[in-house]
Amino acid sequence: MSDATTQLVLTRIFDAPRELVYRAFTDPDQLAAWFGPVGWSVPRDSVDIEAKVGGHQRFTMVNDEDPAQNSPVDVTFVEVVENELLVGEENASEIPEFAGSLMRMRLEFHDEPGGKTRLVLTQGPYTEDFVAMAREGWGSSFTKLDRTLG
Amino acid sequence: MTDRLSVIFAALADPTRRAILARLAEGDATVSELAEPFTISLPAISRHLKVLEQAGLITRSRSAQWRSSSLQAEPLREATAWMERYRRFWDVNFTRLDAHLHRIQQEEREP
Repeated sequence: MSDATTQLVLTRIFDAPRELVYRAFTDPDQLAAWFGPVGWSVPRDSVDIEAKVGGHQRFTMVNDEDPAQNSPVDVTFVEVVENELLVGEENASEIPEFAGSLMRMRLEFHDEPGGKTRLVLTQGPYTEDFVAMAREGWGSSFTKLDRTLG
Repeated sequence: MTDRLSVIFAALADPTRRAILARLAEGDATVSELAEPFTISLPAISRHLKVLEQAGLITRSRSAQWRSSSLQAEPLREATAWMERYRRFWDVNFTRLDAHLHRIQQEEREP
């Protein structure tokens, strides 16, 4: 089983300074201007962001053709370093037994030559175990499991 | 995330349970066979098996005397598909962010 099963890691380089990329995630006007898949928008009045530990990033993605289709997002920041790092958690489960099951999104903003920014996004169901598991790469016995999954 | 997936991911979050799944990938096994590599008790292994069964990751035969467990691949496939959806979501999203960053920098240069 590959890490992709449990943790999504994406890296992208943006032709803009770090402060600007960071602001795109933390300034409500900015976020509303770009966030969402094609065919979806984020209404400015749905956005509420407080970029500090314990603060929220709340907004709603609305389908352009059918506004009845919408997807609210409510993230609580657990780590914030201005222009460098945003770590947010979203409760993934209402099941009491698994109340600790959180989705965590980590955004790292790194300088790249030429005034560019390397953004590293890590997202997944997140517990200390998952981090350890991602490091172990699930061990060789999971190669077999991969084949099972075909 | 649907509750079903939360249950799957929560079941996968434990190292003992992942080791049990890895063992079952090699073939069906009884509780005592599964307990062998661990220093924990049979009841503890049984509790882990119950969590895996509830997540649909394994099935257990009904024979009380010789109760063996088998791996079920489908929930793991669901977990993988879920991750893949997120990957596509962010790919598109980043393309939009890229365009947005170009636009605002242009506006700054040409007020």
